[in-house]
Amino acid sequence: MEMFFDPKSIVVIGASNAPFNLGATICTMLKDYLQYTGDVYALNLKGEAVNGYPGYSSILDIPKTPDLAVIIVAARNVPGIIKDCAVKGIKRIIIETAGFSEGGEDGKAMQQEIDNIARVNGIRIMGPNCLGTLSTRKKFCCFYGVNPSLVEMSQIFEVPGNISYIIQSGGVAVLVMESLYYDVVGVNKVVSIGNKCDVDEADLIDYFQKDETEVIGIYLENVANGRKLMDAAKKSRKPILIYKVGKTPEGAMAAMSHTAGMANNDSIFDSACKQAGIIRLQSIDELHSLPKIFTEMPLLKGKRIAMFTNSGAFGSIAADLLVEAGLQMVHLSSQTQEKLKKAGKAFNIKNPVDIGPAPPQTYLDIFEILLAADEVDGLLPLLSVWQPFVIDTLLELMKICKRYDKPAAIYTANAIAKSIAIRAKHRIPIFETSEQAVRALSVSHAYYESLLKRNFISAPASSAASGLENNIGAWAEAAS
Amino acid sequence: MITTVVLKKEKEVRTLLLKAIERGQQALSEYESKLVVAAAGVPITQEVLVHSRQEAMDQAAVIGFPVVIKGSSPALTHKTEIGMVLVNLKNREDAAQAYDELMGKGIDLDGVLIQKMVKGNREFVIGLTRDPQFGPCVMFGIGGIFTEAMKDVSFRVAPLTEEDAQEMISEIKAGKLLDAFRGEGAVNREVLVRALVGIGNLGMACDEIAEIDINPLIVTEGLPVAVDALVILKTHKT
Repeated sequence: MEMFFDPKSIVVIGASNAPFNLGATICTMLKDYLQYTGDVYALNLKGEAVNGYPGYSSILDIPKTPDLAVIIVAARNVPGIIKDCAVKGIKRIIIETAGFSEGGEDGKAMQQEIDNIARVNGIRIMGPNCLGTLSTRKKFCCFYGVNPSLVEMSQIFEVPGNISYIIQSGGVAVLVMESLYYDVVGVNKVVSIGNKCDVDEADLIDYFQKDETEVIGIYLENVANGRKLMDAAKKSRKPILIYKVGKTPEGAMAAMSHTAGMANNDSIFDSACKQAGIIRLQSIDELHSLPKIFTEMPLLKGKRIAMFTNSGAFGSIAADLLVEAGLQMVHLSSQTQEKLKKAGKAFNIKNPVDIGPAPPQTYLDIFEILLAADEVDGLLPLLSVWQPFVIDTLLELMKICKRYDKPAAIYTANAIAKSIAIRAKHRIPIFETSEQAVRALSVSHAYYESLLKRNFISAPASSAASGLENNIGAWAEAAS
Repeated sequence: MITTVVLKKEKEVRTLLLKAIERGQQALSEYESKLVVAAAGVPITQEVLVHSRQEAMDQAAVIGFPVVIKGSSPALTHKTEIGMVLVNLKNREDAAQAYDELMGKGIDLDGVLIQKMVKGNREFVIGLTRDPQFGPCVMFGIGGIFTEAMKDVSFRVAPLTEEDAQEMISEIKAGKLLDAFRGEGAVNREVLVRALVGIGNLGMACDEIAEIDINPLIVTEGLPVAVDALVILKTHKT
């Protein structure tokens, strides 16, 4: 699989000097924007050079065997090209051309022919109908038609990150990358798998276990092999977030039983996600908004959340959201409340802790009291003031989170624009809405539970004890 | 803690399925369907298949009144709608009359089914379906005549762990019906879990089965009992 993302040589089949040639856009990107150091060959009818890369009219004429062939020619020519690739000994092919299994009977027949040649010759294929691969660390990308001169696009390569995306649609792949320009977490690899005649999401989940990937984001239009996906996901030690389109029932028409009549692909996909520890996303935005809770914060190991706010209103809104998400507003113990009282400036020492104007150190003292409390599993800081020192305060909060191994989902109401402007630079995981922040806590906990369920980790022995203390705290308060 | 529920009498089940397919049946009769789901660990009603009026009266007496009498045929997938189910029969005369009524409908029957009448206010459904991408999947939910109107059901991809089964039981909206309810005790979850895991394993083991409906699964004295069952076969005419 590595050769799809880090080939030392590549042939772009269909790259020519004709106007608006798509293959040529790949050559331009490799040479002018990525300064790709491997060998590039262009293949076209005239055998002409493209953007300085040597051109050939037959694959068999290329002086060496390229690691990877990228095909972007009319569909009807593809089977013949695959045959030539097989003769040449090319083992990795990306077919970016559309018009196969999605394009009627002829397309399906061609698809079958390609599959047969590939199987016999041990060739792995990505696509057809896709954009191919992108690797920020290897500075490789074979997406066609993407304008790499965009400053933002080059940013993707300048600061490699740790999310890898498997995206069935090329358009959505670019959309998700764009959304990350101003977010905290960068990209490791992106792959657009199209019709996935061979390489599919399950193969790539396996592959991403072994590289720098920390979170796997997936956009799916259909599941080709549900069980293969479940098996790969169950084994994954990295969170898998999937957004799947297509909630319409299918196959229900022919059903004879009530069970089959009520079963639709969507509810079964939902169950499969629960069984395999996959986090199913509610919107496409979550592909870029949620990964930072995994890469920048410890996991949420319980459901009890302490809230910190400068405004009672945000506290009430978030409290509703927490409960809807299956989390709990923690009941702070009398000891914790006593400590909060001593810290000063608090209008309310019960959850949500509400404080007025205060120096940064007071904020930090309160964050630490809350995160240190045994009854608290995670923090939801809702900050509605913005001063230059807030950045430093939040950086300090992140350290406290690491120290106590508990997450905080930061939301800066009334300062969203400022937060977004600074969060990528300072690498602070700030969420844009209270819904996003609560959702982040909830998926963090869901992932933690799935690790427990799969026996990848064991529950800390002290968790029951801390629950007990919390109860004692509540009783003590009720008695007072 | 994964306990696999072993399919009891696997050989007999397979023979029954293969014979039915050979005969060109699209589905098993209720009687055959219940044998199959019982082998997977689902408690079923006490019942006997009879072929004469006299047998109907005698067997009804053995089972104990009141009884339910149903026409049995693999062609009858929805019996209630065509009057092939007669309930609350209190004595031998009722049983005899019911037998005559069903035989008189002019429908080709392979016998008449005499069942103990199961009483209970809570009705659930257990089902099996095959998803084109995920294969055999088990369904659990609110059963009875409102099943499809309410659609309060949950699914899991087979095979199920006991934990999967517990989760899918807890997932339905009317989950409170599983606790003690209006004077009736809580539902025996262990039996329910075993039934769900068993149906999943049945789906994994028997490719011949396309779909299953166990509806209603009536809770009587805390125990879920399959009162009706339907096994749809895969027709091999691709």
